[in-house]
Amino acid sequence: MRIPARTRTVAVALAATAALALSACAPQAPEEGENGASDVTLTIATTTDVVNYNPLVGNSRSDYWVTNLMYPHLLTIGDDGSKAAELATDWGYVDDTTGFYEIRDDMTWSDGEALDAEDVAYTMNAVKRDAPAGTFYGQLANFESAEAVDDTRVEITLTQPDSSIVEEIGFWGNVVPQHVFEPAGSVAEFANDGADGWVSAGPYLLTDVQAGQSYTMERVDDYPLVEGGQPVSAQVVFRVYPDVNTEILALQSGEVDVIANSLPPAQVETLRNSPGIEVAEVTGLGYSHMVYNMDNPDLAKLEVRQALAQTVDYDAIRDVVLQGQGVSTGSSPLMPVLADYYDDSITDYEYDPDAARALMEEAGYQASADGAFPVSFRLIYSLQDPVTSQWAQLVQEQAAEAGITIELAGAERNTYLAQTDAGDYDIYAGNFAIMDDPVTNFTLSYLPGGAINYTHVDDPELTELVQRAAVSFDEEEKIGIMREAAQIVHEQVYDNVMYTQNLYVAHSDQWDGFVSKPSELLSIVNPVSIAGAFPVEG
Amino acid sequence: MPALSFALRRVLRGIVTIWFAVTVTFLLLRLLPGDPALAVASTNMTEETRQALLVQYGLDQPLPVQYVLYLGQLLQGNLGVSFTQSVPVVDVLLARLPWTLLLTFAALAITIVVGVPLGVLAASRRGGALDRAVQIVGVTAQSLFVPSVGIVLLLVFGLGLRLLPIGGAYEDGVYGFAWYGSVLQHLILPAVSLALIQLGAFALTMRATLIDALGDDYVTLAKANGLPYRRILWKHALRNALLPATTLIGLQLGFVVGGAVLTETVFAYPGIGRGIYEAVTQLDFPVLQGAFLLLAVTVVLANMLTDLVYGLLDPRVKTA
Repeated sequence: MRIPARTRTVAVALAATAALALSACAPQAPEEGENGASDVTLTIATTTDVVNYNPLVGNSRSDYWVTNLMYPHLLTIGDDGSKAAELATDWGYVDDTTGFYEIRDDMTWSDGEALDAEDVAYTMNAVKRDAPAGTFYGQLANFESAEAVDDTRVEITLTQPDSSIVEEIGFWGNVVPQHVFEPAGSVAEFANDGADGWVSAGPYLLTDVQAGQSYTMERVDDYPLVEGGQPVSAQVVFRVYPDVNTEILALQSGEVDVIANSLPPAQVETLRNSPGIEVAEVTGLGYSHMVYNMDNPDLAKLEVRQALAQTVDYDAIRDVVLQGQGVSTGSSPLMPVLADYYDDSITDYEYDPDAARALMEEAGYQASADGAFPVSFRLIYSLQDPVTSQWAQLVQEQAAEAGITIELAGAERNTYLAQTDAGDYDIYAGNFAIMDDPVTNFTLSYLPGGAINYTHVDDPELTELVQRAAVSFDEEEKIGIMREAAQIVHEQVYDNVMYTQNLYVAHSDQWDGFVSKPSELLSIVNPVSIAGAFPVEG
Repeated sequence: MPALSFALRRVLRGIVTIWFAVTVTFLLLRLLPGDPALAVASTNMTEETRQALLVQYGLDQPLPVQYVLYLGQLLQGNLGVSFTQSVPVVDVLLARLPWTLLLTFAALAITIVVGVPLGVLAASRRGGALDRAVQIVGVTAQSLFVPSVGIVLLLVFGLGLRLLPIGGAYEDGVYGFAWYGSVLQHLILPAVSLALIQLGAFALTMRATLIDALGDDYVTLAKANGLPYRRILWKHALRNALLPATTLIGLQLGFVVGGAVLTETVFAYPGIGRGIYEAVTQLDFPVLQGAFLLLAVTVVLANMLTDLVYGLLDPRVKTA
């Protein structure tokens, strides 16, 4: 069939016009930088979208990773669990109810405004005033107000003595630009969605968001916290994948350079032996534990809690489920990573089903002919947590050997959270990602009314010790008190810490220079690490 | 006039269906165990913060009040504000809608382009090896579970052969005309995966209706008149057989939309389906309500359109 010449011309013209129009609608390349810095892009895989760009509200891992590259913290943390300088250069107490931070004088926001003590004081006061849902506000229980004494010094006034609060606020709170956040009103409701662009004092500035797909961040020219004063990669792109397994496929295929999420235990060895992939170890700052609800009359008996603690084969769980990656804390909430506080005289509860039986009999329970005691406990855990789901089954089987029935009640995460909140469980199994400060941890976990007092314990002796530690400004004395408190928690089985877990993250062997910091939130995707990472030459 | 009355009845039925979907979604979300405040807050949240969040979300009101307020909002075209993102739900959905539309239409196109010839070939060789093969493939495709297919496709074409990308809708850092190529490349696996859901049913329906059509008197007459078989098959019988298939496409849109949720999740495709998945984990009621409303409207519109088109194609339907 012949096509008339005129038709052909029109068709070609139409096709060319369509091509031009399509090309115009497509994303356009950014203009080239002029400073001669590297133009490499570091691509990082994550499993969730950024939900909230306001770091005072944001709570998911992706929120944290992305906003952390723009809004600095006063303090960071070292591998020994001690707080270290970030924006703040010095910190401490003027007196029992006044804390202070000295901050760097060389930090600026990406729009040219100086980052000074006013920003820091504004952030703290706004969080206290508006009570956003993030972790930061939870640290401000004894905080009254903050004041910028001069450009680089902030002083905070406390409602009562609190020897942990300066480091806790410094570690958990991001500093936000007052000139951007203040006009927006309540920091609890400000979306900071970048309608007018974002402002950063970190190594990178968020410039493009494709929800569900990627978050593109451009290098900020001046970032004094990294060697050379400038981040290496011109761009950092966070790519969203549905789960860690798909992230691994993407790393293996070269689509991404880093997986931000920690690897499931079973994948660590596999990836260590995969060509082109490096696995980095990250110190864990949290723990997995079981808690026995003392509102249950059976579990209110010490012997029953002790019996349950002795039915668990902790070594087997750490070896089999954690593939040897779990580290014993001596069944204590004072983990080895908190080197100053760790007490090696406290050891794991001994796995001894016979002793457990004896304890149950001592508590007044008689086993039936088939060896089972007339008790049954409902253990809740999140089905979204595959590791806990696995060891919960071992816990059930091992308790059965001692004649104690445990009913597994794994639930979808939101149901699990609701059950936890309502105290609707006999045994709670779960984990905490970061327990960086023992006093704060004990206050929340073991004092009456504590937000995570899942045991529902009210022990006057323990309460008195923790309250005394909270107002002790003598480090040695504080450590001694906390060790005493941990001894009580251990003896009374107010908590059963199964293990702390060092984490493993994977990256391409084409990249180097990452700096690992404790916890999954910081790991190798902390600002200094990302800013300093560089492609391996050749 | 009968045509107008037919159209009006369909529109009314559509509105009632959407209201029903809106109400059921509203109630089901509030029956879910869990608390949106707990889903977003940290472990050290105080009771005061929690109550403030519930007030901010409007969840402190009695259920009937929440329902009336929600319907009032909807009538004003306001889908509310996301609990977790603090931005209008419309913005959240509009950012994702184009990708879901692209994926859905691509899957439908593949279904039709592959399904029609498969059905025709099977019907024209009824009882033969090709017919049996199409039946086996059709039944198997109907039984496939989308995520499983997706993962196999990813392993083979993404990791094994490295022909296609693992996830996303395009490659970052690609600009201009090449961007469209990247979009197309990223579309292939999710679209094929989604098309497989309906391909089996479509090809089998096509085959069955065409076999019926080939037995009709006008086909016998056409054969007697000496018309070539291919012309009878493709030009006469196929046209009549396409009517039920058209209906099926409309009806199956619901399955495609449901399948899109899973497909987008597996392939990290940034559409509404993946948005729903994330909103469920965060108990973000306004986003979920908005997304389900959008999906309900899409399905109702597609069905309505099918009814209307069918009415145009087959005058007998207009008075039904």
